[in-house]
Amino acid sequence: MAEALINHKGEKSSAKWRYFRRTVQVLALLIFLYLLLATRQNSTTWLPHDLFFRLDPLTGITAMLASHTWMAPLALGIITLLLTLAVSRAWCGWLCPLGTILDWTPSRRLRKDKIDIPSFWRHGKYLLLAVIVFTAMLGSLTLIFLDPITLLFRAIASFILPGLSALLANTGIPDWLNNLLRGAVINDQPFWGPNVAIALFFAVVLVLNAIRARFWCRYLCPLGGLLGLIGKITWLRHYVDEHKCISCRRCAIACPTAAIDPAQKFAANIAECITCLKCAEVCPTQAISFRNNWKLAPQHHDPSRRRFLVTASLAAIAAAVLKIAPLIGERISSFIRPPGSSESSLQTKCIRCGECARVCPTGVIQPAAPSGAKGKLWTPQLETRLAYCDFSCNSCGQVCPTGAIAPLALEDKRKTVIGIAKIDRTRCIPWNEGTPCGVCEEMCPVPQKAIAFNEGGGQGRGGGRNGVQRPHVLAELCIGCGICETYCPVPGESAIRVLPAPEA
Amino acid sequence: MEISRREFIHRMMTLGFSTAAATALFPLAACSKETAPLPISPNAPPSTTAPSPTPTLTTPAVTDGLAVVRGKSPSAITEAAVKALGGIERFVKPGNTVIIKPNICVAYHTYEYAATTNPEVISTLVRLCRGAGAQKVSVMDQPFGGTAEQAYLRSGIQEAVRAAGGEMVIMSRAGFKETNIPEGKDIKKWMVYNDALEADVLINVPIAKHHSLARLTLSMKNLMGLVLDRPQFHFNLPQRVADLASLLRPELTVIDAVRILTRNGPTGGSLDDVKMMNTVIAGTDFVAMDAYAATLFGLTGADIPVVRAAAGMGLGMMDLSKVKITEISV
Repeated sequence: MAEALINHKGEKSSAKWRYFRRTVQVLALLIFLYLLLATRQNSTTWLPHDLFFRLDPLTGITAMLASHTWMAPLALGIITLLLTLAVSRAWCGWLCPLGTILDWTPSRRLRKDKIDIPSFWRHGKYLLLAVIVFTAMLGSLTLIFLDPITLLFRAIASFILPGLSALLANTGIPDWLNNLLRGAVINDQPFWGPNVAIALFFAVVLVLNAIRARFWCRYLCPLGGLLGLIGKITWLRHYVDEHKCISCRRCAIACPTAAIDPAQKFAANIAECITCLKCAEVCPTQAISFRNNWKLAPQHHDPSRRRFLVTASLAAIAAAVLKIAPLIGERISSFIRPPGSSESSLQTKCIRCGECARVCPTGVIQPAAPSGAKGKLWTPQLETRLAYCDFSCNSCGQVCPTGAIAPLALEDKRKTVIGIAKIDRTRCIPWNEGTPCGVCEEMCPVPQKAIAFNEGGGQGRGGGRNGVQRPHVLAELCIGCGICETYCPVPGESAIRVLPAPEA
Repeated sequence: MEISRREFIHRMMTLGFSTAAATALFPLAACSKETAPLPISPNAPPSTTAPSPTPTLTTPAVTDGLAVVRGKSPSAITEAAVKALGGIERFVKPGNTVIIKPNICVAYHTYEYAATTNPEVISTLVRLCRGAGAQKVSVMDQPFGGTAEQAYLRSGIQEAVRAAGGEMVIMSRAGFKETNIPEGKDIKKWMVYNDALEADVLINVPIAKHHSLARLTLSMKNLMGLVLDRPQFHFNLPQRVADLASLLRPELTVIDAVRILTRNGPTGGSLDDVKMMNTVIAGTDFVAMDAYAATLFGLTGADIPVVRAAAGMGLGMMDLSKVKITEISV
């Protein structure tokens, strides 16, 4: 088996493996995109819609650590860990959709390299991993936004698709194309400016590729760090037959993660090897194979006790500086949160994946912007001037992979209070100008109407100036869905605004 | 307001055509949209653009009777109502494109809650249009609460329309064009769904509902589903709705009053607010029809600001004593 993966029959067989790997990569990326596009209100997918988050052990481990909860679906990450035990970081080289995209992103190869990056930079990913795990143990998931799967999903769901949708919907594409794309690409989600930050972060990851192929995977990816640690005791690993090697360096040049060290007789740093098999493919003498070589690899990253302590204290300092630990974090929020979630559930369970924002039919769920979000960066919150929480929808709780947003039955969701509307009488048209308006009351989805023209409720035509009806919010009925704020015809800031409900 | 020569000639021609049509007692509904894209009421002076200080209740040149049909089967009463008007063939010619505009304002409830038009009423009209040789029957609305997909589904209208041979259309933003409203008193142009202007036949099928600001939402208010920027439309709502009606002038209107929503409209959500009326009202004079529908709520046309505004523009007859009402039970 070990010999079978790369045998000695020569280039033809290597080429076969190359195509096989490329096929697997494309398939995995297509499945990732399919699941993303198919995640829509009340839709079903032929695989779990959050498959990649389930397979991602980093999101699973940290969410479970932070919330002290067992999350059975996320335990699927064990498969990836077992895969890594068998074939090193094959996840990175074969399955990771971000890795595949980075493979297709232009980059420089070793030969042309001018900038020398010391190899200890590779410890960056372990440091990030340590900080993420450490802060998770303290109960904060803030830094999970660095996870590669969440990073890619978020960028597509919160920036690329809404942007594309807005572009296409306003350019008058032919009906058949519109019908084809409707739902998957074209939907009612508005484009939300602050998500540019999400796109920038993604762009930086891509641009770094210009410095080194898979720069992200080599130096930064915390998931790569986790898999690299496990990959050190992997079963199937890179092996160079010293009798055949002619020291031509082709493998070292071809290696996308520069895992092969010419100075070490072309041995691969197994924590960096993504099992892409390119080295074996380019080797003119078929000196390279992947075989059972079950022994502990040379420790490139040796977390001795001192190092561990250094890493841990760095992590603690980072946690404190970033105000990401709940020790410091505030529990009172200025955000309207999705129904079924709370500040604490989001702090300890939200992996910032963006599934809720993707599925939201109106696009009211938007990632909390960097400014003011502190430890809550890119957690879901409701932009109620932009859109509203649809009275007929409970999808965010259905798609949340971690239960940060609890799945609610539609009947319960309709009664879940997420905020309360408040009228600004200095801006409200009937209150301020004495001319008729009642859009907020018209829109209110609560069956008994949480906005009334009589202070005490009811349907009377309460008199104001000139006999114009003036709206009142009935606090005991308002659920904070925000549709009144969305549709308020006052230009600029709405004359009726939803404020966060006090947390129970 | 300045008028270019071309526009003046165009208006004079339109006026001439409308007068001729009126003299010949040619029903408005039969005016083909190709020849008179923006018909001007014969009683409205063509060059007067400022609203007259004292709107007079003018008698429209063309009055057409209403059919009010009561019965247990929404399908049967709809069919009977159209038949009483002279049959669907009066409105739909072979090869015509038809747009049916129900009220599907929210995705929240099934039709039993009377927030959305009865699916059977809609599907009956689709079937009749197809039977008359309509080339295409499209059904659409622009829900303000929830997506069109979910609203079409939950209202039951999608299933009924497809079974009857019609198609549900999701209105895209690009389909709206800035359109002149020549007779508009308050608004002279607005973003209007272009297909609704270009279709051979527009059939407006509202459900009669309570509405705080407008008091009731009936046929003219239902046309708001065909415009953009609806929150802004609410400034001076009654006149703006009447202005829009003067532009769209549906060839046929069928008011669904099988169930009516008596309180907490237009969204509803409580069956306690729903009243069974087992009635549909069909006709071409949408002002008279809205005035009639108001009586189902114990009101009159004069109580509804939209109806008053439209009657003031001469869009139809608000005074029901002057309207021939054919009442049928099936």
